[in-house]
Amino acid sequence: MTNTILNVKQLQKEYTGEITYKALKGIDFHLGEKEFVAVMGPSGSGKTTFLNCISTIDRPSNGSIIINSKDPYKLNDDELARFRRTELGFVFQDFNLVHTLTVEENILLPLTLDSVTEKDMKQSLAKVVAFLGIEEILKKRTFEISGGQKQRVAIARAVIHNPKLLLADEPTGNLDSKSVNSVMTLFESINKTFNTAILMVTHDAYVASFAERVIFIQDGILYNEIHRGKNKQQFYQEIMDTLTFLGGGQHEF
Amino acid sequence: MNFNHIVVQNILRDKSTYISYFISSVFSILVFFLFATTAFHPMLVKLDTTSTLGITMLLASFFIYVFSIVFIIYSLFAFLKKKTKTLGTFMMMGASMRQIRKMVFRENMIIAGAAIITAIVSGLVIAPLFLMVAKKILRAETFGMYVPIKAILLTVVLFSLLFLVVTKFMTRMIKKEEIVQLLKADITQEKLIKPAPFKLIGSIIVSVFMLFSMIKEMNWVASFGMISYIVLFISLLLAIYFTITQGMLAAIRVWQKHPSYFRKTNMLFVSNLKAKGRSHAHIIYLLTILLLGAFVCTSVLYSSYYNVKEKTEILYPYSFQYTSLPGNELEAKKDSTFIEATLDEAGNYEAYYSSFKTDEKRRIAFMSVTNFNQLGQHKPLTLDDKEYFVAAGHEGVHPNKDSIQDYPFGNLEFTGLENNNILSTGLQNVYYIVPDKVYETIKYPEYKIFAYELDDWTNKVHTAKTILSKINTEPDVRLMASKIELYDVEKFVKSIMFFIGFMLSLIFMSAAMSILYFYLQTSLEREREKFSGIRKIGFSIKELASVVTKELAALIFIPFTFAAFILFATLFGMHNHISLAFYQLTAIGLGIFLLLFIISFFFIRKGYLNKLVN
Repeated sequence: MTNTILNVKQLQKEYTGEITYKALKGIDFHLGEKEFVAVMGPSGSGKTTFLNCISTIDRPSNGSIIINSKDPYKLNDDELARFRRTELGFVFQDFNLVHTLTVEENILLPLTLDSVTEKDMKQSLAKVVAFLGIEEILKKRTFEISGGQKQRVAIARAVIHNPKLLLADEPTGNLDSKSVNSVMTLFESINKTFNTAILMVTHDAYVASFAERVIFIQDGILYNEIHRGKNKQQFYQEIMDTLTFLGGGQHEF
Repeated sequence: MNFNHIVVQNILRDKSTYISYFISSVFSILVFFLFATTAFHPMLVKLDTTSTLGITMLLASFFIYVFSIVFIIYSLFAFLKKKTKTLGTFMMMGASMRQIRKMVFRENMIIAGAAIITAIVSGLVIAPLFLMVAKKILRAETFGMYVPIKAILLTVVLFSLLFLVVTKFMTRMIKKEEIVQLLKADITQEKLIKPAPFKLIGSIIVSVFMLFSMIKEMNWVASFGMISYIVLFISLLLAIYFTITQGMLAAIRVWQKHPSYFRKTNMLFVSNLKAKGRSHAHIIYLLTILLLGAFVCTSVLYSSYYNVKEKTEILYPYSFQYTSLPGNELEAKKDSTFIEATLDEAGNYEAYYSSFKTDEKRRIAFMSVTNFNQLGQHKPLTLDDKEYFVAAGHEGVHPNKDSIQDYPFGNLEFTGLENNNILSTGLQNVYYIVPDKVYETIKYPEYKIFAYELDDWTNKVHTAKTILSKINTEPDVRLMASKIELYDVEKFVKSIMFFIGFMLSLIFMSAAMSILYFYLQTSLEREREKFSGIRKIGFSIKELASVVTKELAALIFIPFTFAAFILFATLFGMHNHISLAFYQLTAIGLGIFLLLFIISFFFIRKGYLNKLVN
């Protein structure tokens, strides 16, 4: 087994409100360097909460999360912010682009916050833009481009600083099937080319089949995991079977 | 690209968010600057020896300043709320709280700087025009344009300080929240209005009690002084707040139970109101307060402006009233000759010669029937030998009917009362009109009165100046009172008040418009999404228009109606102190406002609908 980039131990998350609700009931999980893992589960199973806790955008109630041998929840605000922009990249279903900035500016945002020199910025930008094939739309505003393009921009923003870990929450949720394919191919090649570990939440078996390993969460606990063998088609079928068993997959007639 | 670039783009590419705030800020700073320019005018020192004008102007500027603090704090709150999701995105990208604060701070400082510069530049352009108007209103012929360095410095320093401190304070208020909360800010439901019947009743009871004791002039009000007014002010603000929120809640509940709830677009309208109840109620509340401010400023000041002539005549009944004290006979003759000669040139006039005797210690005067009738401005009076008549000495003070019994004039009987002061107010406390025979027996010193009433006196300021420059009050020798002069001074003061009030009401209106604009602008995106959703299931544009019209009408006309109602209720409560003309003028003023509101309502409605549909 390769080095571990992410190690999650007994992760718990409770939402206290009028009714206390346990979203995660203790999950153990580890992600190796350069590994590509998909998280699946029925709606409300806790998969997004799981990702949010790892993303450091939501605080776990209990348990520990170690990313690249650091505990982000022990960092102070400045250190945590720095940690986010050097170690992590984020891709969301609804893109979360800043509408006042152009495509180019959105991509450069993490670097600006770090006061990178203009020259370095241009270099990183050229590299990532060429890789994603979005040279033409750099000067456009976020509302002038299509959903697929938006997601490419979000991905470019997420990887421009070469993060160790890319976190994606339903990255294809708002895309048509053609864009799904190209975005997923991108994920695969980011994983291979930049050696970035990817943790992706999805409810789509086809999307999940791009990963090397799929874990299933149900009712806040880790239910099962399957590894990809040689055959992608067979992997897809296994995912479908597990989903059907969980009651979240396709219904058979 | 660097950090500042992001800051600048955040503003430039999001103009619609900031434009109304910017314009309102510019307007407030501009008025402040113009007032300061007037207050620091080099000629003002000569013109305004008592410096009332300067102080009034500075007080008004101070008020604008305080108002600006509140307005800016509110606006920053609103911006932060609108930007929550963007801030979340920035933090997710690895911006620290420090960077977020820095960004928000710089954004606001850029707007502040731009607003101050714009205000001063446009202020310098407008200043000559403004001073020209001021020249007319303040009747200061010497008011030319000058380089208002003092005013510029004061405005720049005070407003830079204001923006700096408020923004610094507000950025500190950005709470450290989990990013997930920030990102979800736009899909979480707003808080609903909570029922608070006791707070409503409590605040109303306190307000009514305070108002009642103030109208009845209870003793404890006087002993608490300023504090009781502050308590009244706060309790009124709370009472209005709870009336609006609770009233809205009640209206929603009634509508929801009503059978017509499920008819046509009613359900959509009411549920919309319910979902946004709290923020709607807050906007309605803010608009009500601001409109009330605008109404009070214009209506009350305008009305008082137009009552000047009547009020002056009540205080000083004669164009000129020369009172000659004992031992001034020779001078008095000369003076009256001079006055009459001057008046001859000025136009038609009536002269009335009269006199009274006075107990100087108690300032109680006695006048014979003949002398009283010679004053000529009252119905001729006849008295029996055993009767007396009472006339007031002070404006608005009921004369004492019985003090005459302290004097040994035999048993005189009271026959009637004149509640208006017959001579200039405050000359004597009371006048007892007695039969001529009784008057002759009175041993007190006699004051001679030479009173003149000039035709068309309001236009004879020049004559008054000529006479008063020669003959003025000399204690123990002669007293001079001229309603022409008083009218002139009063009109001057009232013009300033009206002028300042008008400016303030413009500031209130612009703040109200800015708040409304920003509110609509903020909710536009979500509304558009919602309506495009329901349009897909067969909702016509006409139906959409009807829902939007109702909602906008509620936002605009509820505050108007409420503020107008409070204004009239207040005026009615003060009906002892104000005349009928007051109501008429207030009604006219409100009518003009209403017209403006109806016109702007249709404009806003059209613009908003266009944006919603496209």
